Amino acid sequence: MSAPSTSESSAAPCRNCNAPTNGAHFCASCGKIQPLSPGTDYFAFFGLPRKLLLDTTLLEQRFHQLSWKLHPDNFVNATESERELSLDRSSQLNDAYRTLRELLRRVEYLLGIEGMRNEGASKQQAPPELLDEVFALNESLDELREANARGGNTSAIRARLAEAHINFEKKRSEIDEQLRALCAQWDQALDGDADRAARMKLMTQMNELLNRRSYIRNLVAGVQKELVEA
Amino acid sequence: MSRVVGIDLGTTYSLVAYLDQKTGKPKCIPGPYGETLCPSVVSLDPDGSIIVGEPARRRLLTQPDRTIYSVKRLMGRGVADVQDELKVFPFRIDPASKTVIRVQLGHRVFTPPEISSFILRELRNWAEAHFKEPVSRAVITVPAYFNDSQRQATKDAGRLAGLEVLRLVNEPTAAALAYGLHEQQRGRVSVYDFGGGTFDISILKLISTAEGDIYQVLSTNGDTHLGGDDIDLMMQRVVRDEIRYAYQFDITTDPSAVQKLRKELISVKHKLSTADRVPFRFPLPSGKLYHRDFVRSEFESWIRPIIDRTMVPVKQALSDAQLQRSDIEAVVLVGGSTRIPLVRRTVEEFFGRRAHAELDPDEVVALGAAVQANILGSGVKHMLLLDVTPLSLGIETYGGAVAKIITRNSTIPASAQELYTTGVDNQTGIDIHVLQGERELAKDCRSLARFSLKIPPGPAGLARVEVKFLIDANGILQVAARDTRSGELRTIEVQPSYGIADADIERMLEESIEHAEEDFAERQVIEARTESEAILNATAKSLAHEAASGLSAEERRKIEASQTELRAAAQGTDYKLIRSRIGDLNQATMLLAEMIMNSALSTALEGKRVAEV
Repeated sequence: MSAPSTSESSAAPCRNCNAPTNGAHFCASCGKIQPLSPGTDYFAFFGLPRKLLLDTTLLEQRFHQLSWKLHPDNFVNATESERELSLDRSSQLNDAYRTLRELLRRVEYLLGIEGMRNEGASKQQAPPELLDEVFALNESLDELREANARGGNTSAIRARLAEAHINFEKKRSEIDEQLRALCAQWDQALDGDADRAARMKLMTQMNELLNRRSYIRNLVAGVQKELVEA
Repeated sequence: MSRVVGIDLGTTYSLVAYLDQKTGKPKCIPGPYGETLCPSVVSLDPDGSIIVGEPARRRLLTQPDRTIYSVKRLMGRGVADVQDELKVFPFRIDPASKTVIRVQLGHRVFTPPEISSFILRELRNWAEAHFKEPVSRAVITVPAYFNDSQRQATKDAGRLAGLEVLRLVNEPTAAALAYGLHEQQRGRVSVYDFGGGTFDISILKLISTAEGDIYQVLSTNGDTHLGGDDIDLMMQRVVRDEIRYAYQFDITTDPSAVQKLRKELISVKHKLSTADRVPFRFPLPSGKLYHRDFVRSEFESWIRPIIDRTMVPVKQALSDAQLQRSDIEAVVLVGGSTRIPLVRRTVEEFFGRRAHAELDPDEVVALGAAVQANILGSGVKHMLLLDVTPLSLGIETYGGAVAKIITRNSTIPASAQELYTTGVDNQTGIDIHVLQGERELAKDCRSLARFSLKIPPGPAGLARVEVKFLIDANGILQVAARDTRSGELRTIEVQPSYGIADADIERMLEESIEHAEEDFAERQVIEARTESEAILNATAKSLAHEAASGLSAEERRKIEASQTELRAAAQGTDYKLIRSRIGDLNQATMLLAEMIMNSALSTALEGKRVAEV
């Protein structure tokens, strides 16, 4: 199995027999394992286009096929340099699979290699449309802490918090749906050879969704912690 | 290529196994007493020699201050780590030990990897005696939840025993391999491994592919200080307190009596796996007799908290694998402690299915190691293990926090790159502290190593150094740094926080390897001489036999010449020559042997009627 040559133009020729390799894992001519070319991204490693709604069953199959070939088990009796290449390639394979098999990590990774991931101040700042709800939530949390300190009855506050919790979870799944829709548009844009501006726009939107999602996730985790500790 | 063996270096017992090429099945190699289990006990004889296994275990009673057991608990740990163990285990730590532990046996001190290397060397001897050839390569198993230092210490022990360690394999994974082969099991499998000193749980997915079977570990968890040892200690505490109360006698003042009590209580524990009630009598040094009956239900109420502790990692492993307990299609029990009925019941109730225990829980890990040893040794691959790192890897950031760079349960090999730069002008180094663990603060994680990146003086922010952290297929960390502007590789002096420095290992190695080669050759010479003596005696007897009168002068001369040559060879130290001369003499006496056999047969038949023959 070879990686596509698109992002591999800088690949060096085979160290062993000098044949061109196009960044493939093994030399097509002599079969020796090849070093990773600088800048090989995880999609290219699997020989995949940079699409986001990929078939994870197929991805797992490729992961297994490549594991058979690249794993250090195969190189126990090989030269030291081949053993190192196997270690490099197989760790890259595992890192790539771990990243690509989950949608969120995949999107985040794509934005990263396209230079479009910008976390900004998202972890601290509430998105404007959530401001009121976040304000109410923080008030309830304060009340809960006070009531706990006084040893008062907290059941009403807890019920309110639990409701807010459900509400934010719902918002999170809405974001997930929006993200999926954007991913589908991204894949279409790639198929249709959309221009850079159209792709940038999609990526900016995805970046924003990721930031909102991570804000909500932190919020929800905070509420859960308070509810458990109280 | 030489043979590769699989070794289970256990807390209580160690085993060595290989793959029998004829049957295609893994097999454990017995020692001189016919047992496949070698007690992981080491004793230093007053004459300076090292005694390992069953004879060493007997010395626990007679020479407790020169004998050590359960040394695995000390592997890769620092002096500060083991303070709790010291309260309950009779380890005598050299007071001069700083970070690296040194244990006293008699008047000498040893590191835990050295003591483990004595056990490995003994197993290596078993294997060499079995194959009648040197064995220099091995796969060694470790608890899945072992951290980097514990793994490194195990690898060091292998090197010190003169073994090239081709791979460290996680114990539950090795067990899964043995079972996968045995049961043809596929799907999601949970391996519950409760041994003498460690507990592991691993969840695997067994997949058939065109190339062969893949054993993919989804998650692992455990406790490297939870095992049958803890049950023994609990029983000892109960009895100790009862003796103190009833007889006003503190047994801990008599190390030999403590060992005797420990030994007998272990035997009670074993019996309680099949009997409901075990009577127990223990004569005290004062001459009085302590006695009580152990009842299984009472025993179970004592050990329930210990067994409940194993279920915490089990639940964590399931949740890390994003599975429900009902998703598990098979449960495998490994380790001697799973013979306890309550352990088995607890696991089966939790998963709602019968657990597999068809393979001997003491042998199964070594058998799996032998399968992997054969794969690595022969290069013929029909199965592939994809294991994970049990603990997250992180680096210390500002304020003592930890940034995780490789999360636990990542398939290994796994790597992470970090880019570093300088914060002030003319800064000449960047200090990096690598940690392992799940906690958020560096002080709560395990310190693996510290190192300093050397930077040529320049304005702040100019330097760009990329550090690559890589966890290899053994679960051991490797670090490499590269200047991204010049592309130049930088060497890093990693100072392990708890391991033995490389220079010390080298020194110990030099001493031990020289000895190892001498040892092997010496043993071979002794064995060959013994054998030649036996065959020379037998030949002399045969020549004196009346049947030998039938030999031709030519035949007789041939035998006598072979005898002379063998005697000459046995004077020297070339064991291969001695063996070859033994072969020659055997060849030369074949006709004589046949003549004697025939004459014996006819003597036996004399006086019998033809009809009876």
